[in-house]
Amino acid sequence: MNSISQIIIYLFVFTFSAELRAQNQIVADLSQDNVEISTDFLGAKILLFGAYDGKKGDDIIVVVTGPKGLVTVQKKEKVLGVWVNTQKVNYINAPKYLNISSNRDINKILNQKTRKISEIGLNNLNVRIQPGINISRDNEKNWRKALTRNMLKSKLWSLNENSVALNKDALFRSYLTLPSNVPTGIFNVKILHYRNSKLISKEKSTINVLKSGISAEIYNIAQNYSTLYGIFAVFLAVLIGWTTNLIFRKL
Amino acid sequence: MYYHILINKNENLMYIYLPIAEQPIHSLAIIGVGSIIGFIMGLVGVGGGFLLTPIMMFLGIPSPVAVASVANQLVAPSISGVLSHWKKGNVDFKMGTVLLIGGVLGSSIGVILFNYLAKIGQLDLVIRASYVIFLSLIGSMMFAESMRLILRKKRGKVTRGKLHQHTWLHGLPFKTRFRKSKLYISILLPILIGVLVGILAAIMGIGGGFIIVPAMIYLLGMPTSLVVGTSLFQIIFVAANTTILQASQNQTVDIVLATLLLLGSVAGVQIGAKFTNVLKGEHLRLILAVIIILVSLQILTDLITMPSDLFSVIIRK
Repeated sequence: MNSISQIIIYLFVFTFSAELRAQNQIVADLSQDNVEISTDFLGAKILLFGAYDGKKGDDIIVVVTGPKGLVTVQKKEKVLGVWVNTQKVNYINAPKYLNISSNRDINKILNQKTRKISEIGLNNLNVRIQPGINISRDNEKNWRKALTRNMLKSKLWSLNENSVALNKDALFRSYLTLPSNVPTGIFNVKILHYRNSKLISKEKSTINVLKSGISAEIYNIAQNYSTLYGIFAVFLAVLIGWTTNLIFRKL
Repeated sequence: MYYHILINKNENLMYIYLPIAEQPIHSLAIIGVGSIIGFIMGLVGVGGGFLLTPIMMFLGIPSPVAVASVANQLVAPSISGVLSHWKKGNVDFKMGTVLLIGGVLGSSIGVILFNYLAKIGQLDLVIRASYVIFLSLIGSMMFAESMRLILRKKRGKVTRGKLHQHTWLHGLPFKTRFRKSKLYISILLPILIGVLVGILAAIMGIGGGFIIVPAMIYLLGMPTSLVVGTSLFQIIFVAANTTILQASQNQTVDIVLATLLLLGSVAGVQIGAKFTNVLKGEHLRLILAVIIILVSLQILTDLITMPSDLFSVIIRK
């Protein structure tokens, strides 16, 4: 995203914002709503921008949630001098990507109760432990903290307070970073507009993260025609090994 | 371990996204690593997988993908190596075939074991522990052996021992004659060696050269001139079998990673082989022994130092 196109987008949004403001609406768009993971994929940075009908002191929170699924947390213990994974807890329904951005500290925008109800904040997500695992309440907190800590470390979860830029109580923009290990799937984007801790309006959007190009082809073949893929991998190695032998014999 | 922070735009061209490991990697770095390992392989005759797999793991490639992809890449330098040795008549095909029957059997067992260990969540530990045990063992044996040779040469004494030692192992039933190796031993012994090496090959992502070469010399009593070519011959089949089984059972073979590695290694092997007459074997072995010991110490340190976080996450597909 270069600065000229950014300015154009801004002008465009600003022209229409008066009308939107009359309807008490929030509108938003993304610089890209498709992220393709191809051979040159190193991660992506997406600009999220829009207009809202704001007053001084209003807040914007952006929540981006990736596909949800099973995430296992393991705990190591020292066994015979070696650190070994001895316990595990499976979380079902855990987002494999999560980005929460806001214009200021979230606990200044919303109280604990509202955060809990609207599932805003890294520790307020509705992730559940897979039934059948018995752990104490105290322990449960530790495991849950470990989940958050490790997801943050892997860059798949992030909390960016003060990262949403507000302009003249009418425009907002925020950058979204997808790391190179981002999972594929549909990402839900929620933009929430708060005034005195009350939700005034909201907007939803989606980002589709998908594998594309040769990288996607290889992945699909490896999954769907796995034996054939293995045979081909061996064949390719044989071919290259044999060819180099021919080349070097000539030298 | 995490390898995925946004990378400077100017360097983008050098990075390639690995479809199975699901992360970008610097392509020239991988080709470079492949050629250095290939060079060592060509020079010393062993040392492909057992150095390559730990290096891939140090670079942050998930260990199941590292193991399976290195097995894949091993096929190429082994083919290339066998063809050179074959021309010089340094391959005992009969012995190689017996070994590979064991090897294919063993690697199949190995992949099943691999699957089981992944299921109970202890695969990483077993891979690393096996590396510590075998690398330290082989490293110190190689170190002692090459030191003895260097010291003996300095004293200028050359002693010639028996062709090989006879042990009870040679007396097992199903005795067979291996003309090329000038051996008359039980067929069970090479099969058993093949099975053991095959299991390790599948779990550790190695050809098993560093185990099978000493086993052929000290346990079977084969002439040293035939050992490298024959072991490479059986490694082709063990590595190929491991690749196909890993691909079909676990989908862990990253063909892009394997191809980058083997592009480097095939050239490295040939260049290394040309240097064998220039550089002194025992000094090389000494250096390699030190490298192996250092790698095993590194893995051991990782296993015994308390991790900064006792908890870790696995994101399931």
